[in-house]
Amino acid sequence: MNEPMVKIRGVRKSYNGIEVLKGVDLNVDRGEVTCLIGPSGSGKSTLLRCINHLEKHDSGELRVDNELVGYELRNNRLYELTDKRVCENRSRIGMVFQRFNLFQHLTVLENVTVGQMKVLGVRREDATKKARELLARVGLKDKESSYPSQLSGGQQQRVAIARALAMDPKLMLFDEPTSALDPELVGEVLEVMKDLARSGMTMIVVTHEMGFAREVATSAYFLDGGVIEESGDPRVILSTPSSERLKNFLSKVL
Amino acid sequence: MTANGDATVKVVPVRHYGRWVGVAVVGLFLAMVVHTLFFKVASAKVVCHVVSGAKVCQHAMVYRYQWNIVGQYFFTSEILHGLLRTLFLTVVAMVIGIVLGVTIAVMRMSPNRVLSSIAWTYTWFFRGTPVLVQLLFWSFIGAVYPHLTFGVPFMHVTFIHFNVNTSLTIMEACAIGLGLNEGAYMSEIARAGLISVDEGQIEAATSLGMTRRQTLRLVTIPQAMRVIIPPTGNEVISMLKTTSLVSVVGVIDLLGAATNIYSENYEIIPLLIVASLWYLLVTTVLSTGQFYLERRFARGALRSPPPTPIQRLRADLAGVASKFRTRRGVEVAS
Repeated sequence: MNEPMVKIRGVRKSYNGIEVLKGVDLNVDRGEVTCLIGPSGSGKSTLLRCINHLEKHDSGELRVDNELVGYELRNNRLYELTDKRVCENRSRIGMVFQRFNLFQHLTVLENVTVGQMKVLGVRREDATKKARELLARVGLKDKESSYPSQLSGGQQQRVAIARALAMDPKLMLFDEPTSALDPELVGEVLEVMKDLARSGMTMIVVTHEMGFAREVATSAYFLDGGVIEESGDPRVILSTPSSERLKNFLSKVL
Repeated sequence: MTANGDATVKVVPVRHYGRWVGVAVVGLFLAMVVHTLFFKVASAKVVCHVVSGAKVCQHAMVYRYQWNIVGQYFFTSEILHGLLRTLFLTVVAMVIGIVLGVTIAVMRMSPNRVLSSIAWTYTWFFRGTPVLVQLLFWSFIGAVYPHLTFGVPFMHVTFIHFNVNTSLTIMEACAIGLGLNEGAYMSEIARAGLISVDEGQIEAATSLGMTRRQTLRLVTIPQAMRVIIPPTGNEVISMLKTTSLVSVVGVIDLLGAATNIYSENYEIIPLLIVASLWYLLVTTVLSTGQFYLERRFARGALRSPPPTPIQRLRADLAGVASKFRTRRGVEVAS
């Protein structure tokens, strides 16, 4: 139980010969809220996507809940997992995207029940009951029969969070969840995320919201050029950064 | 309307004189079309009557398009049997075409090189040869393969064996031939639809733990349908008429039936009209079906779906009625 929820050691990843992750180490304990910050192209989204195997990392050790992501260690060899096993593991890791990615052809309620029913095999009545509870929790009780295109960005993102929570995740990943929102809609999404953090959910958040990082996160990692430049308590490193690059970055963001 | 604070200032719409001229010209042509189609003209035939002892002769008045003959043949059993064959060929060929098309599209997009190049070759071959040549080939398939055996080559392993000449009719061969040809076109339509679905939708499905197959069935295909349906409707309508090629290999479809009849009685034009009217009728039914199918699959894509023709008619009537009420000075609540 003392094992960290996410343990990353020396993870590397390149696209077409360009290395975007150059050996990253990271630890996320249970119930922790970790923020990944850094300039665009620094590899923070790639790192997040490696954690639920949306991207395959090239080398290094990546464990979620003490299990290797995407591989199995037998006879001192790493065997790639079958699609089915990867999917099983992935279903317990929630992910929220910058562009919401709600299923456009399904209603809000169907968006929140489809994964429960088709992946977890939950019965329709139970899935619907749970979906309604979650929609109430994100403040969208009355929108269940709307289609995503009829909702504002902030509402869509809250549905996306409910959709991810419906799978009973042990870990939630957020990929710049507020970057595509109008400024006045950012607050409602951050509020839901804060509520989630208070409930003890383990979260990894790629974000540019320094206020959120300072207020909610238990740790922060600053990525630049595929390596972790600086990490620690967000209240410390965001106020008194020690590396030149983080100082430089913060002066541009704040 | 409170320009200059005066509540009675009226709005004068722009008069589109150019459009009115256009309407007049088009109206004139329309009148000519109606006249030539539906009004009787003097024919070459001279008919004589005896009127109060005197013999009066005059040219007989007939419909240029001989509608009476059209009506006479419209429901004859030969035509109706031909229509049934046409419908059978259309339905079977399209079912084969759609299933094959989706399969080939998915194969084409497979990360496996062998699968994708086989799919490409299929499309290349069946789009690259005329459908008439393919139909002729399939109708003579019994000459090339009198006995058809599916098994593993060189190994003497047999799964299925049947006699082509006795168990496959020419019409069935034609349906298969048209279906295989259609598969090539449908695969490109299906592929366009699958490509059109946003990558983010697939990522979201994947992150929920859906397998590739579930993602395809629950997320990609339902959304691709919106793009796939209009050109597929086009293909169905086009297929309805392409089936008329089968008369070349001796299958008596709708056009074949009409041709058979006029080769005996020489009423060529009326029988061509009979066939055309049936083709038009079926096309109308198919287009209506397409409209409602499109509406069904547009769910979620548009904030509000377009009105059905009936809803539009109702709205138009309501609009005219309210205009009429305002004209008469009745205040319409704003």
